[in-house]
Amino acid sequence: MLSRSADSLFWLNRYIERSEGLLRFLHTTYVLSLDKGPYVNNSWKILLDIFSTLPPEEKLALENDPDKIVEHILLAQDNVNSLRMILNRARENARGMQDHITKEVWEQVNFTYHKINSKSLPAQLKSNNEIPAIESLLKNCLLYTGIVDSTMPRGMSWDFMNLGKYIERCMLTIDLMEKQVVGHDLSEEKDILYWRGLLFSLSGYEFHLKNYRSNEANYNAIHQVVLNVLFPHSVMYCLDRVRKYLDNVVNQNDPSDPAGLTRQFGRICSAVEFADVGMIRQVGVPVYLSQLRNNLHQFAWSLSQTYFSYS
Amino acid sequence: MQVEELLSGYQHAYAWDEMLEKNRVRDHYLPIMQKLAAMGFDNIKQHHAQASELFMSQGITFTVYSDDAGIERIFPFDIIPRIITAAEWAHVEAGIKQRLKALNMFLKDIYHEQNIIRDRMIPAWLIASCPHFTREVYGIHVPYDLYVHISGIDLIRGEDGTFFILEDNLRTPSGVSYMLENREVTKRLFPGLINTNHVRMVNNYPLLLHHNLLSLSPRNVKNPVVVILTPGIFNSAYYEHTFLARQMGIPLVEGRDLVVVNHKVFMKTTRGLEQVDVIYRRVDDEFLDPITFQPDSILGVAGLIGAYRKGNVAIVNALGNGVADDKAVYAYVPNMIRYYLNEEPILPNVPTYSMSDKMQQEHVFKNMEKMVIKRTNQSGGYGMLMGNKATEEEMESFRKKILENPREFIAQPIVKLSTVPCFLDGKITSRHVDLRPYALCGPGGIEIVPGGLTRVALKEGSLVVNSSQGGGSKDTWIID
Repeated sequence: MLSRSADSLFWLNRYIERSEGLLRFLHTTYVLSLDKGPYVNNSWKILLDIFSTLPPEEKLALENDPDKIVEHILLAQDNVNSLRMILNRARENARGMQDHITKEVWEQVNFTYHKINSKSLPAQLKSNNEIPAIESLLKNCLLYTGIVDSTMPRGMSWDFMNLGKYIERCMLTIDLMEKQVVGHDLSEEKDILYWRGLLFSLSGYEFHLKNYRSNEANYNAIHQVVLNVLFPHSVMYCLDRVRKYLDNVVNQNDPSDPAGLTRQFGRICSAVEFADVGMIRQVGVPVYLSQLRNNLHQFAWSLSQTYFSYS
Repeated sequence: MQVEELLSGYQHAYAWDEMLEKNRVRDHYLPIMQKLAAMGFDNIKQHHAQASELFMSQGITFTVYSDDAGIERIFPFDIIPRIITAAEWAHVEAGIKQRLKALNMFLKDIYHEQNIIRDRMIPAWLIASCPHFTREVYGIHVPYDLYVHISGIDLIRGEDGTFFILEDNLRTPSGVSYMLENREVTKRLFPGLINTNHVRMVNNYPLLLHHNLLSLSPRNVKNPVVVILTPGIFNSAYYEHTFLARQMGIPLVEGRDLVVVNHKVFMKTTRGLEQVDVIYRRVDDEFLDPITFQPDSILGVAGLIGAYRKGNVAIVNALGNGVADDKAVYAYVPNMIRYYLNEEPILPNVPTYSMSDKMQQEHVFKNMEKMVIKRTNQSGGYGMLMGNKATEEEMESFRKKILENPREFIAQPIVKLSTVPCFLDGKITSRHVDLRPYALCGPGGIEIVPGGLTRVALKEGSLVVNSSQGGGSKDTWIID
């Protein structure tokens, strides 16, 4: 496969995964901000931290104006991490290698692109229809995942797409968790309401209620988000998927793996696979997560040097 | 609704109308008109909107860079098909085959022995002064002596219905994806009619093309590597490049994906370098190789022409074809047919005046309001003057330019293109059209896909059909 196509496939899925994460987080934040609970909701700030490139003082000015934040996060053209810009880049990648994706996948990317760029969307947001608009965009991201799953042939295209998807998802989980806990003392027991926003944003609230019955909310949340292999947004689950698709890619190209990608990734995996909640808390959750993120960044860089370097 | 009511506002004053003959609908147009009458205007309008949505959702768009937003537009599509009878088509087909045969022989000759010049059938100065006569490819042998693998010759119909050749597009003609997509959309809009009218199918074009490309491979291997070379996503025909890559199942590459090592072309893959045998390039000659042509081009591949000269890679269409579709050389194509084939041309040229000839120039200057003046090296409806629409100043400025550089211009009498029915502004009205059939030349002969792209001048009274000048397109039916 052309290196450029592999690159585009990888990034197409990274961008769509990022869009999905953005929309779910935005939706959760919007809905939870309507409940005034015991934990002062700082999700708006986290949202802006992750998905906005505004300077700090401008972010601060926005924080009390949810409508403006929604517009900024969804549509702003001067914010490289807004949904519109992310989807524009996803489509640009898809357009550059239409011969590797199915017509159905292309049409879905194209449809979502036209939706976010449609002239009627800003008016819809202004007329108090934010939640339906966000939900419909989210549905389209999910639809994309379904269409990819049922129409894309399994092979190298599929492997590169999934590498992109799960690396992105893992980074997003790490980012959200880290921003949630940084500056908070986790030795002091929080209740489930503290974690609710994070769990909703990762589509894991119901999973939590069903699977964790004890009162140790901190322990449970860390376990679910980092270590639980059954939770599809956990760090461990994502790494496990990346391992599978990495193996496929290495074996289909040069099985001797001269760049040592498998070893590099193995080290990252083992730091999660052989960890437990006690150890993570001992290291400090933010420290542990940020190490993980740095290593993952390093790995993604090596991956691109090995397979995508075409200039 | 009756057909009469449907066509109550239909006017076709002065040109050949393909639907009406003395205010009676010709037989081959009757079924579609009856169908439209039965549908009623509201329903037609719905179908029209549905067609636009289909194009948009499939991304069959081109980008207008007039402002930063990069607005995407669809190439306007008219839902009423243009119909050509089998007998008319047989005539067109024979004429194009004859012409292509002669043009191919001309290209072989002009880049080798140049007998046609020696025998004084075409003046040497005309070729020497042609900017597309490519000295860099002189003497290069191409597989099967084929130069024009893919062509899109433009035809028009004159006031008495005669088909004329307007232009030979022998370099990188585009629009074939619209021909194919138009048919797909029509299938969804009028499934029953296509069936009952015995419309000939067009969709084997990519298969024929792929077959021809494979046969050109210089390496004798089981699965030659064939690629399409595109200038990239900002090219206005990018959709077509992806469409063809997908339909043929071959990689779509950009210049930066390729590299020449030891006079062989390779593409950069995740597995390392892989040799390329055949390149269907949609990049113009002058951008193909920065070493041989424009040194600042980043669309091409350094060293490509060296590999081509060695015979290590086949390039489609051949380089240097521009000398044969130059608008001043066009006037000599009937001569070529007589010279190489010893036959009379089946399809006539539009009369063409050479501006380098004093007598002809004078005649044109006297009758400028009846002429269309074109630059010999431009296309897309740019750099041209329609005498009947031009102001006195515009004519004067053209006169000046012609006197400065007569070789760069030709003139033709304005031909009133034929008209066909279109659905515009909620009613059926007549518009001028041309026809671009796509022909494929392979080692096995010439194949012309029955139909082609009908381009429509959407502005009332306009004779300019180019998409860059407000043109649209139609599905084209050849019916048995």
